[in-house]
Formats: sequence, C-alpha cells, structure tokens
Amino acid sequence: MILSWYLLFCRLSAIGLFAIFGWIGATWSAPITFNTALPVAEGTFVAREQFVINQSGNDPSGAARDRTAWAAVSVLGYGVNNDLALFGIVPYVNKQLKLTTGGARVSRRADGLGDSKFFGRYTIYKNNFKGGNFRIAPFAGIEVPTGKNKRSDALGRLPASVQSGSGSWDPFGGIVLTYQVLDFQIDAQASYKANTAANGFEFGDVARLDGSFQYRLWPRELSGGVPGFLYGVLEANLIHEDKNHMNGIKDFNSGGTRFFLVPGVQYITKRWIAEVAVQLPVIQDLNGTKLENDFVVRAGFRSNF
Amino acid sequence: MTKILQKTGLTLALMLFAATAFAEPQTYKLQVDGLACPFCAFGIEKKLSEIEGVDQLDTDIKAGVILLTMKDGVLLDETAAKKAVDQAGFTLRGLEQVQTSTQATVENQE
Repeated sequence: MILSWYLLFCRLSAIGLFAIFGWIGATWSAPITFNTALPVAEGTFVAREQFVINQSGNDPSGAARDRTAWAAVSVLGYGVNNDLALFGIVPYVNKQLKLTTGGARVSRRADGLGDSKFFGRYTIYKNNFKGGNFRIAPFAGIEVPTGKNKRSDALGRLPASVQSGSGSWDPFGGIVLTYQVLDFQIDAQASYKANTAANGFEFGDVARLDGSFQYRLWPRELSGGVPGFLYGVLEANLIHEDKNHMNGIKDFNSGGTRFFLVPGVQYITKRWIAEVAVQLPVIQDLNGTKLENDFVVRAGFRSNF
Repeated sequence: MTKILQKTGLTLALMLFAATAFAEPQTYKLQVDGLACPFCAFGIEKKLSEIEGVDQLDTDIKAGVILLTMKDGVLLDETAAKKAVDQAGFTLRGLEQVQTSTQATVENQE
C-alpha cells in the first residue's frame, strides 16, 4: 500500500529541478534566466540574489495536484582573469505539493539547502569595438548534492521531486554568445545537463536553448557620464527534459518539452542591478500526466565589488 | 631696455611654468573599446584605480572615453593603462594627455 502511494507520488509529481530554477549563473547586466558572456574584471567579485516562485496547477491526471516551489538563490562570481570567471550557485528551496489521492487531500513539503552548482566560463573569442562588443564563451561545471534527498514525513519517504536535493552529482556544460551595444544587448545560449542516479532515482537529462533581448528604454539619449540604464527585457527558454528513471524503469509520466516567453525589466547602474521577470509557458508538450507550469516569477539584485 | 624686460618676463614665465607644470596634476584621455553598459564601467575603473598615482576617473560611456587624472607630479605609464583595461576585459584604443590649464594660459600669453 505504502509502496503504491510512493510510486503514485513519484509518477505524478516528478519535476526537473533544473527546469524550475533554470540558469542564473549570470551576474552581469545580462539575461535574467541564463548566462552572459560579458567579462568579470580580474580580481573582481559579482554577487547576485534571485528569488524564484514556481507555480504549477494545471493537472491532467485528475488528482488536482497543486505545486508551489520557491527558492532564494545566491550566486557569487569571480574574475580569475579577463577571460576566465568562476561561479558558485547555492539555493535555499521550499517545495510543497498538494494532491488528492484515495479520496484524501494530502500535502507533502520540504525546505532547506538545495543542490549547488559550480562552474567556470572561458571567453574563446572577443571583439571589442567602439560602443560595443561581441563574445563567445563556453562553460562547464557540476551540480553537487548539497541538498537533503532522504527526507520523510508522516506518509513516508518524500518523492524525489519534493526533496530539497537530488543526491546525485550532475555535470553540465554549454556555450553562450553575447552581442552588446549601447542601445541593446542580445544573448544566446545552448546547454546540457546530464543527470545521474541516486537512491534508485534518476532525473532525465535536460537540454536547453535560451535567448534574450535587452533594450535600453531610458535614458533615450546619452549625454555623458555613466547614467543608470532602464532595460526592457524579452527572453525565451526552450527546455527539453528526458524521462526520469526509477530503479532502471522509465517513467512515462515525466519529461517533455516546454517553451517559455519571459518579459522583464532591469535597472542597471555602475554598482548594482535590480530586475524582475515572469516566465510564461507558451507551449508545454509534456509526457503522460506530468504537471504543467502556470508561471515562474523571478526577482533579484546584483552587485559588484 | 624694453626688449630686455620683455625677455626677462618671458623667461620668468617659462621658469614658473616649468616649476608648476610638473606639479600640476596630469590628465589623460583614454579611449576604450567594448564599453557599453554601466555595470561594465565599474570593472574598468577598478583596474585603472589600482595604478599607482591615479587620483580621479571620469567615464563617459557614450563616447567610450575615460578621463584619468593623476596625483601631483605623477605621470601615467601607458603600458600600465593598457594592461589595466585589458584585465577588465576591454581594449585601450588610444591614450593622449589632455592639455592642462597652465599650459593653455602660457600659450595664450605668447
């Protein structure tokens, strides 16, 4: 009986952590949901804090699932030299899943430190010109299991998708391109994360294509000095997740492809950035009864020192 | 006699210029390629401020220019400036010394 409930939870609620929190390694005036290739000056630190709220409630399974996950994600970047920058990302997460099963409405939740990411980004091409630049920078790193993944409640072991951490060491990598001029900036990224197994459970691998367009709304004309810039931002995230595996058995109610459009705004000064954006799912082609996203809101602050 | 006085005055002015010009803070105009956002300006200014003798920095992001003023009696090493801009991830396209106010006054008198 307990095993069947556990399997039900796992099947109905498997959610890729990567897709929830996405990429926020970027610490520059740059995309809100993924990286940038802009440089981190040698010996300079950049810090970022982003708050994420992920709401999902469009449930095709009939179990009336309602999931709310929020996170406070801390990022620190350091310029080793003008081409190489190192980043660390540490999240604090809170996840809650409510559903109706066996005639009862149940709630499963967990909070605490999530899995952390550490990666390096290296500029392999740059072209600096008057009033702008173009750069290409591959990156690679690993997500480490700093979050707990064996928590239980009154109903038994929490499903993998509600645990704070995955228990697995997951390598990832990609490449990001940035074209920046005084009036606007364009970023594009391709990335892949290979999830490994822990405690018999393995999230599906995640492949992403991301794009961002940031346009300077104010001031309309520059007249000297370094004024603050107000950017209007429009991003797009195309995310494909492979099916999860439990004890080697493929879960056909997991994985799929989602496409988000992300409108947002940023205010950028010499020393800090404030920003907010909302990820709106435009297309969700998910497998079986996998829960769909309603929206994801991100708000954050960055500073350099 | 008049000519002697004029020459003496000019000599004294030149001596005064030589004495004060070296003590006058020197200002340089750095043309930087790649600079296109406020947050990036911090990195360049931080690296330039680490050069010994730098007193003041004024960045014009639209022009891609940084006016760098040194402390009294200190000259800017162009190699150090180029290295600092490079360490920030950008490119120093040009560097020139900006005419000081004292130089302008003496030239007007002549």
